Amino acid sequence: MKTFFKALGNVFKKPVTTKYPFEQTFIPDDYRGLIGFDENLCIWCRRCEMVCPPGAIVFSQDMEGKQTYHFNRAVCIYCGECVRACPKEGAIFQTAEPAPCALKAENINNGWNKLFDEALASREAYAAEKKRKAAEKAAADKAAAAKKEEENKTGN
Amino acid sequence: MGRQYEIPIGAQHISLLEPLHFKFTTENEKIVATEANVYYVHRGIEQACCSKFKFRQVSFVVGRVCGLCSISHTTAYSQVAEKLLKIEIPLRAKYLRMLVIELDRIHSHLLCLSHVAENSGFEALFMKTMQYREFSMELLEAVCGNRIQYDFSIVGGVARDLKPQVAQSILERLKKFIPQLDELMDIYKNNWTLSLKNKGAGAITKEDAMRLNVVGPFARAAGLAIDVRNETEDLLPWKQVGFEMITETSGDVYARNMVRLRELYVSIRIIENIINGLPESALITETKAFPDGEATVRLEAPRGELFYYAKGNKTQILERLKIKAPTFSNVAAMAEAFTGNEYGSAPAIIASYDPCLSCTAR
Amino acid sequence: MNKVMTSIENLKKDIGDFYKPELHHFMVMNAVEVGDQIEVQWFFSDYAHPCDTTCFYTLVRPETEIPSIKDIVASAWVAEAELVDLMNIKVENTQKGFVLEPDFESGPLRKKK
Repeated sequence: MKTFFKALGNVFKKPVTTKYPFEQTFIPDDYRGLIGFDENLCIWCRRCEMVCPPGAIVFSQDMEGKQTYHFNRAVCIYCGECVRACPKEGAIFQTAEPAPCALKAENINNGWNKLFDEALASREAYAAEKKRKAAEKAAADKAAAAKKEEENKTGN
Repeated sequence: MGRQYEIPIGAQHISLLEPLHFKFTTENEKIVATEANVYYVHRGIEQACCSKFKFRQVSFVVGRVCGLCSISHTTAYSQVAEKLLKIEIPLRAKYLRMLVIELDRIHSHLLCLSHVAENSGFEALFMKTMQYREFSMELLEAVCGNRIQYDFSIVGGVARDLKPQVAQSILERLKKFIPQLDELMDIYKNNWTLSLKNKGAGAITKEDAMRLNVVGPFARAAGLAIDVRNETEDLLPWKQVGFEMITETSGDVYARNMVRLRELYVSIRIIENIINGLPESALITETKAFPDGEATVRLEAPRGELFYYAKGNKTQILERLKIKAPTFSNVAAMAEAFTGNEYGSAPAIIASYDPCLSCTAR
Repeated sequence: MNKVMTSIENLKKDIGDFYKPELHHFMVMNAVEVGDQIEVQWFFSDYAHPCDTTCFYTLVRPETEIPSIKDIVASAWVAEAELVDLMNIKVENTQKGFVLEPDFESGPLRKKK
């Protein structure tokens, strides 16, 4: 009976819940929020990409070898593993800002999958190009060396 | 003897939070036989852990096995990986792990208690318990940075340190919580309406608990003193921080409520002891080794004993990871404890088992 | 962890001699692929000597039928049914279809050859 009257008393009390859109909910100062990236500090070691459990970070590479950082806030689990793995302090960091919702226009799932594959392909293309150039250079060097040797021989 | 009826409950049912299915054979109102089916949410996490993810990433994957005991899973996995890597973690990391496990236990036990109240038809008590539970969620958010997926334990230590002002606020909030817990204890113990649904319902004897290898509050309510916190001193020093075994004798829903409520007092004491005696040391042990050999780890999750088996092969990917969730051990007993009860008590009994099916099916 | 080697023929006798419901707690069964054989393991813990874990294990071919320990350990049927589905091993008196659907391709945890 005591419980009943106590419960009835709650009718005259203010609600204990937070009126969310009008009031801010509890967010601690060191909330695990969005991952930030500083391009100027990054040494492009790709260690954050290697440790990321869900694969929310990927680097693409153009033909000049310049890398670009891509991050998907909908795939990220905000564990902070990339921040711990980063050898250069401040290059990748965690903010206290909660991630905003994704819009349909962003095409955040399928678009990301495509981007991810393209980024890996671009890196492969760059590596292949580098290898081809290196092979070309090696062949040219070899030809030049052979020519030189020939010249030396004839010269003698 | 009346006619026999078969009544299914689940896999979708308003009184069930999780997809599980019971098929009761009843005579009039009495349940005479039960068949359980618990695997509706098999997600293949073990397979993912041994094929797709590197061993350091697995501690985040296993955190997703269960939302409520996420920290128990990550800690158990971290411990088993540390055994494979043959490293010892810093003392402060051990204490912080215990702190988060105990905070997690408070919120998990209160959730279970509130659902027992709800399924017994006591909506007001459900609201009250949920209201009092909120502080533990906020504390966990302050400690770990997230409400549900803590990602706190990592292989080799813990991910974050405990700030002094957060530690202070934990102590203050716990002090405020103790009178609220006393109030809950009083209602769960003495309320006459609740006792009609809870006393004597879903009872299991100590012999049956032993025979069916029951774990967790389910076993302790029947008088079987099984608690991993009482056992493994090498990994986490539970006894140093004031662990005490709680057992009841009657083994019914009421006894399970009492075990959970009394364990909350123990948890509060453990948290206070940890914060007051937190040792200073590094947070993480770095290593470049790869997991090798096989190891097992047991850990007391809020629902009972959690068991991890891992086998490494000196590569980044584990050879095998086996997860045994607490509810898995209780499935056999869950089906048997219904016998002799009225069908109307079934929802309250199911809630009092505190089943976690996504853990069980993985 | 205390590992005890056993064989299919002696399994029931070994576990029957070892297991006392009031002393031991059956935890879980596990199976690991070792080469083209499967190592099946039974884990027990001890109420009286808390840190003790005993593991009975035996190496079998995947197609060999393993005897069931249901009549010794009453709750072992859950673990057995799970292994039958996930590891595609054969256990006496256990049908597939408890964890996965009966028509599902069994043995998802086995390494693909």
